[in-house]
Amino acid sequence: MGEVLLGLPGPWAEDYREKADYYTTKIGGLPDWPIPEVDISRELLHCSLCGGRLSLVAQVYAPILSPKLNIEDRAIYVLGCLALNCATDPRSWRALRIQKYHEEMKPSLTSSDAVSLQKEFVCAPRVNSWLEDNMLGNESSKVNDESDSDTEMEDLGRALLEAAALASSSKKQNGYKNTDASARYTVAKPRVEDTGVPVLPCFYIYSQKVESSGDMDAVCSGYTSLSLENRCASPDTEDEEHWEIETYEYDRALSADRTYLKFKKQMDAHPEQCLRYSYGGNPLFATTNLPKPDICKRCCSSRIYEMQLMSPLLYFLQQAVDGSSACSVDGWSWITLIVYTCSRSCCSFKESTESCCWEVAEEAIIIHDD
Amino acid sequence: MAERGGGDRGGFGRGFGRGFGRGRGDRGRGRGRGGRRGGGRRDEEEKWVPVTKLGRLVKEGKITSMEQIYLHSLPVKEHQIVDTLLGGRLKDEVMKIMPVQKQTRAGQRTRFKAFVVVGDTDGHVGLGVKCAKEVATAIRGAIILAKLSVIPVRRGYWGNKIGKPHTVPCKVTGKCGSVTVRMVPAPRGAGIVAARVPKKVLQFAGIEDVFTSSRGSTKTLGNFVKATFDCLMKTYGFLTPEFWTQTRFSKSPFQEYTDLLAKPTKALLIDNSEVVEA
Repeated sequence: MGEVLLGLPGPWAEDYREKADYYTTKIGGLPDWPIPEVDISRELLHCSLCGGRLSLVAQVYAPILSPKLNIEDRAIYVLGCLALNCATDPRSWRALRIQKYHEEMKPSLTSSDAVSLQKEFVCAPRVNSWLEDNMLGNESSKVNDESDSDTEMEDLGRALLEAAALASSSKKQNGYKNTDASARYTVAKPRVEDTGVPVLPCFYIYSQKVESSGDMDAVCSGYTSLSLENRCASPDTEDEEHWEIETYEYDRALSADRTYLKFKKQMDAHPEQCLRYSYGGNPLFATTNLPKPDICKRCCSSRIYEMQLMSPLLYFLQQAVDGSSACSVDGWSWITLIVYTCSRSCCSFKESTESCCWEVAEEAIIIHDD
Repeated sequence: MAERGGGDRGGFGRGFGRGFGRGRGDRGRGRGRGGRRGGGRRDEEEKWVPVTKLGRLVKEGKITSMEQIYLHSLPVKEHQIVDTLLGGRLKDEVMKIMPVQKQTRAGQRTRFKAFVVVGDTDGHVGLGVKCAKEVATAIRGAIILAKLSVIPVRRGYWGNKIGKPHTVPCKVTGKCGSVTVRMVPAPRGAGIVAARVPKKVLQFAGIEDVFTSSRGSTKTLGNFVKATFDCLMKTYGFLTPEFWTQTRFSKSPFQEYTDLLAKPTKALLIDNSEVVEA
């Protein structure tokens, strides 16, 4: 619970509209819903201020694997409005939590699960039919018999490792080629035809645990200073003066208080962090007077911190937007965006039509502006 | 799917509890449209990714001097901003390291308090104070805090306005705790007439001649040095006849670069290219 995972930027997507799946963690692009988009209530996907379509800012695969609560198919989507007037208003942001209702005692859902999942993975690019087949086999065996699924999982794991290595090497080569902008990527990719949806530049995220603070000195060693030698240079004059005893003093700069300086220290340790994830942990605040989130509308339980988006994300998006398309990402100037989710990760169970296996819930976002 | 296959797979596990999902194979490290960076962690840490809006403007090169920041009283929250704008001209020096002790059940815990002054000896000076368990950490932290606190210092003449300004423009006084430091303009050649510690601060500020007078418990180094710093801050706060003319207000850098967005799309693209060419 106490550990923090950082989301660091990975490679850019070759095409901002390319489709991934809901297990991918990415910034920008089109959202990969696990259910057909028509099943998501329209008002959740549109800005509450201007009514325009919200675009995806971050999509994070976030299962909960604690002993008390075990939800594997869970993803958080952070949506924002790109219209000029809505840029600074916190009401134009939305966080959605989509999770599959997971009930151990309902084996009758197995067949419907398998069918609904197969529908989603049909259009996953590049990881093709071999993955689908394994998926189906995995699903059914998993629910029916735990012991068999373990060995199958190991085999699957090995096969996936090899395939992933193959896929990543081919992807890297393609990535290098595309930076010339002359070689065009020829494999047909499934795209969403809807060109009316505003789309942010898309890049993928890989995760890393926060390292122990012993590395802070390594970070600071870049700040060379002659003064380390100068300190020893004038000991004689110092002996003549007798100074009074000093007491401990908290860090203070002209325009930065202690909270902000601690925030900045974390940012300097990993300057490229786009995302901080710590389910149930403590957010990294930059000031002390941010509002608290309200309670979950569905189950009336309190909301707890889950993750926060950081400003390097904004920097990367703004660098990519320059000159390519006219989005108003420049209008955004938040330092951090904190997402709070329901502490019980609630979902109201409905009877067995397929699309209702997945629940969509709205969560709270607190924005800290610059 | 790729993630459900197994638990242990190098650095990538399943989901956020043990790592992130990865729908399309190994994401790999490295960033940027122009190709991959070499090296690992070290490069990441040395590269500056701005956190604040002002930082982004400075990194892009839209703000070229500290004076633009001071003119609009924008808070400087990243020391890399000062590094970029004042860069190599900024020198730092440790004035004193003092041990600070706290009594605990297991004996005394000693930490070190470092006083660092940075300045370019030409009108910009900053003071940083940091406590840390190790001396080196305290010094580095104090340098960063000093850079965050860089202020402009106004210099003037004692008598004839010949040559460059060399002394404070008027009598100013600064206070911190019980210590008050008063600075009085001095003729050329007088030098800095002050105790050793404030003399260092004044040298870094670029003041060549000044008479000082201090009062209160100047044995408290922290208060003494902060009183001098406060005094320097006030040099630009003093209204003199040169400032009696009507102020011509200019647009704050934030406004200047946000107004582009208010125009329609086509104009936006044209304006961007103009700015780039200019």
